[in-house]
Amino acid sequence: MTPAGAWTKAFAALLAAAIVIPVLAVAPLAFSEQSFLQLPPQDWSVRWWGVFFGDASWIRALLTSLEVAALSCLLSVTTGTSAALGLLRLGPRMRALATGLFLGPMVAPVIVLAVGLYALARSLGLVGSTIGLVLAHTMLALPYVVLNVGVSVAGLDPRLALAASGLGASPWRVFRTVTLPSILPGMLGGGIFAFVTSFDEVVLAVFLAGPSVKTLPVRIWEEVRVEYTPVVAVAATIMIILAVIGSAMGRLVTRRTA
Amino acid sequence: MSAVAFRGIAKRYGVAEALFPLDLEIASGEFISFLGPSGSGKSTLLNICAGYIEPTAGALFVAGRDVTAAPPRRRNIGMVFQNYALFQHLDVFENVAYGLRVRRTARAELAQRVKDALQAVRLDGFGGRSIRSLSGGQQQRVALARAMAIEPDILLMDEPLGALDKQLRKEVQIEIRRMHVARPRTTLYVTHDQEEALVMSDRIAVLRGGRLVQLGTARELYSRPVDSFVARFLGESNLIVGRVAELGDGRAMLSAQGLAAPIEGYAAQGLRMAEAACALIRPEHVRLVAGGQPARIVERLFLGEIAALRLVLPSGAELWSRLFSSDAPAGDEIEIGWDRERVSILPETS
Repeated sequence: MTPAGAWTKAFAALLAAAIVIPVLAVAPLAFSEQSFLQLPPQDWSVRWWGVFFGDASWIRALLTSLEVAALSCLLSVTTGTSAALGLLRLGPRMRALATGLFLGPMVAPVIVLAVGLYALARSLGLVGSTIGLVLAHTMLALPYVVLNVGVSVAGLDPRLALAASGLGASPWRVFRTVTLPSILPGMLGGGIFAFVTSFDEVVLAVFLAGPSVKTLPVRIWEEVRVEYTPVVAVAATIMIILAVIGSAMGRLVTRRTA
Repeated sequence: MSAVAFRGIAKRYGVAEALFPLDLEIASGEFISFLGPSGSGKSTLLNICAGYIEPTAGALFVAGRDVTAAPPRRRNIGMVFQNYALFQHLDVFENVAYGLRVRRTARAELAQRVKDALQAVRLDGFGGRSIRSLSGGQQQRVALARAMAIEPDILLMDEPLGALDKQLRKEVQIEIRRMHVARPRTTLYVTHDQEEALVMSDRIAVLRGGRLVQLGTARELYSRPVDSFVARFLGESNLIVGRVAELGDGRAMLSAQGLAAPIEGYAAQGLRMAEAACALIRPEHVRLVAGGQPARIVERLFLGEIAALRLVLPSGAELWSRLFSSDAPAGDEIEIGWDRERVSILPETS
């Protein structure tokens, strides 16, 4: 590769700024002294952090988000891993079909999913329940797990399992001692994606959340509509921090396998 | 009682016959090679033995026990794969210990047996190493140690040297032979390399197109192959194509165009009068004989104390000769002959 020229570098910097600045702009807002959102803030303070952590409803929203994200992460990793392993055993045509089906939620418009899921959840009485939202987010996160684990599974030498069973291992032991360690990075990577997907998801959450399961993004959205105070920026900054940590971990895990 | 017995074992995939019904008995402590080109069914046979492939018909006995329906984990086999199939997330010690841990071997005994197994493949002190840090030859030796640590009833090897370069191949080949001599185990060895089979085996089973073509010691296969396929597959061979002119009493005469006289030799099974056949004359059995078959030297290769000569007969047929002490240069007309006891007349199978 030839070294990038000055113009290329400048253009790249501009592009990076265009992507990052809107995201980072929210951080200074969180440290504003004022009661309304204005860039740049005229005085600095951490008073809105105090407001955020002093308000039970914000804390509850954060905890709800973490709970829903953790549960749908767990659920999507277990089901997604089973799916990825199962896909390997299908014939080529069935596998293509089933893979397409599993990846569907990734390409389907979220609003369409939301409308459909809302109708379904209503008839099942799951609107406003944690389990309903967890199931919806699991569906949304599943493709990432199937993809991530799928890559690990594809790189798995089938003869390793044969060797283990030849040495006397039962199918469960083969899975636990040979298959699992090999696909663990894929599972971790998929799990982090699943967590982040659920954590910042707002459309399904708006449709399915009742007053009892209000996630952080939903709470932010509601807040913005009512009052436009920097406490929203605080919540957003917390989300950014968690998302950055999550994707950094994801990168780390996937890097190690590559 | 034989260590392994195949009774009418066959495998079919849809309409394709991978293996025709086959009977084979392998003695305890015997090293037997399955030799053949790809698609000959040799790996299928080995995988049936391991339990990785279920036969379509027949029964398999190991140490007198019918294991046809037993899963691999209940067969007590040691399998060595071409690509090593080592567990990358475990170190050398844990790889070798894998089968022992499955068997819940006590800690002290486990440590001792892993140590012994590593010693047997001359990798003492490698226990803590990661698999990635080993060379291909060392990895295959770890795989060997892993297979042997469980004291298997039979040792199966599927082209274990296939992934190694020539130098390492020799090294591991000698290692396997050395271990077998030190401690004979019933071993089934799959290869497409005739030299490997000749060097290592007590007996060789030559397969082609899913059928057992010939079974015997290296010497038997080399000196009395059943047909031209086996003759071509093992060692260097001159095959002169002609027709059976006389047949009887275990002897046959082959007449071919451009020959001064018909070639006489041992008659293999399946020859028919006046039908196509070929005479096998190994290069080392072609000698200078005054008044013999005229031939012209086309090429001369210096091989140290011996020379290899490429000869052409008046018919245009080519012949290689070895152990030729003559200094005759290329282009010379000479007269050659061979010991009729060394010649075999074989059915032509091309």
